[in-house]
Amino acid sequence: MKKEFICIVCPNSCRITAEYNEQQIKHIEGAQCKKGEEFIKNEIKNPLRTFVGSVKCRNGDYQLVSVKTNKPIPKKYIKQVAQKTHELVVEAPVEIGQVIISDVLGQHADLVATRKVRKKVL
Amino acid sequence: MINKDVVIIGGGAAGLAAAVACRDKGIEDILIIERESALGGILKQCIHDGFGLIKFQHSYTGPEYAQKYVDQVEKQEIAYLLDSMVIDITSQKVLTVVNKSGLKKYKAKSIILAMGCRERTRGAIGIPGTRPTGIYTAGVAQNLINIHNYMIGKEVVILGSGDIGLIMARRLMLEGATIKMVLELLPYGSGLPRNFNQCLSDFDIPLYLNHTVVDIKGNKRVEAITMAEVDHNGKVILSTCQEVPCDTLLLSVGLIPENELSKMAGIQLDSLTGGALVDEYGQSTVKGIFACGNVLQVHDIVDNVSLEAEHIACGVEKYLSSFLKPKNDIAIEIGEGLRYVLPQRIQYLDDTVFSFRVKKPGKKKQIVFKNDNRIIKEKSFIRVNPAEMIRIKLTSSELSDIKHLKVELN
Repeated sequence: MKKEFICIVCPNSCRITAEYNEQQIKHIEGAQCKKGEEFIKNEIKNPLRTFVGSVKCRNGDYQLVSVKTNKPIPKKYIKQVAQKTHELVVEAPVEIGQVIISDVLGQHADLVATRKVRKKVL
Repeated sequence: MINKDVVIIGGGAAGLAAAVACRDKGIEDILIIERESALGGILKQCIHDGFGLIKFQHSYTGPEYAQKYVDQVEKQEIAYLLDSMVIDITSQKVLTVVNKSGLKKYKAKSIILAMGCRERTRGAIGIPGTRPTGIYTAGVAQNLINIHNYMIGKEVVILGSGDIGLIMARRLMLEGATIKMVLELLPYGSGLPRNFNQCLSDFDIPLYLNHTVVDIKGNKRVEAITMAEVDHNGKVILSTCQEVPCDTLLLSVGLIPENELSKMAGIQLDSLTGGALVDEYGQSTVKGIFACGNVLQVHDIVDNVSLEAEHIACGVEKYLSSFLKPKNDIAIEIGEGLRYVLPQRIQYLDDTVFSFRVKKPGKKKQIVFKNDNRIIKEKSFIRVNPAEMIRIKLTSSELSDIKHLKVELN
């Protein structure tokens, strides 16, 4: 089959056409870079996404610390990761890159903080 | 009155990048004035990723991208005021600033306007109906959810397909809300294509093009909206009206550069961009006052804001050392197919990055720069899209001995 994809790797949003069947990808066209081709290969076999969200933070100058997976994970787990973030509370201070959940859902990616949260000055 | 070499109004993406770039050029006496209680501007609430791909070849979230610049500001000991609002600027570059400690006046040799933009509201597009709670602009909703931890609703309709609206559709959905639909008045989406893919398609959120909201119902809280199709002139087709029960309406219907202060200083604005009319260094019609970022033109990618801010810092440095001497004064003519072109005029004929947006989506198009009938530069595009700002650099040699400059889409 032939299908057009929109690449989400960068803002160029390349329209990439791929010709493939269940066994193999025959032809990829329209990607301006290698990452785009890689994205399409995954998109056909196992679509990957970076999860972004937030986790409650106690005693911080922000009530929430924003988080992301440090690697893209299979798209089908995104909602489950969101569920995990709703159950968690972390304690300030938090640094950018600090691991909030390691190897989240066993998908070989850590959920890490993306905001610096200082301890609240009372 | 306190004297400063450079005062930067706004500590968001544009202001921070401008400050760091000015310091890199050796300007010592810089002050950033920020009205919020932290630096970072809108990036603080943009917790999604995709920032920095052009500038750092890496996908950061908004807070991470902002922190890179905040760290630079701290490291280089660039002065900044928080919780401080500029309430007046004059063409003589005198600024009146108010904060908890009272009123202060600053006299700047140069001012960089980096106030960003604000959202169009329900009032700006005149949706009829009652006035219940539950109607938010997308950015306000983003602030409430991502910074203040307030969930804004359960059953959401989004009007407008700008990027923030699409990002919020995904965010609200993952936080447990139902996104009933996204309505877009135009026959094409307003946001970046990648966001339609990763925010709507991924979660099967329906998008209705050529549709709008014609009524809002509810007394205390939104109870329903009425959606309707529009014809090719944007006129509502009454027979298509349909009530959609919901408790929340999110508006993502465009951004307006925030230029109240620019007007006070007597700066001439461009009605096409909503921002200042500038030369190739981002200098406004008031000498020594420069503009960059969303206050100059609404950007879709923060990397371009940073690049724009860095470029105008070159102009500020030249201005302060009296090297900014006009060689010419050429008003750029906007040809077919383009909504606007920036800068609006060029005076120094140095290397210049032109930025512009097309009026409507198209395939296999060319951007052509012409001096009368002589083609100076041509660039081909497989696709053009109003959602994607185009930036093309012309070198000083390409611009030498031009008398006139027209940009058009063929």
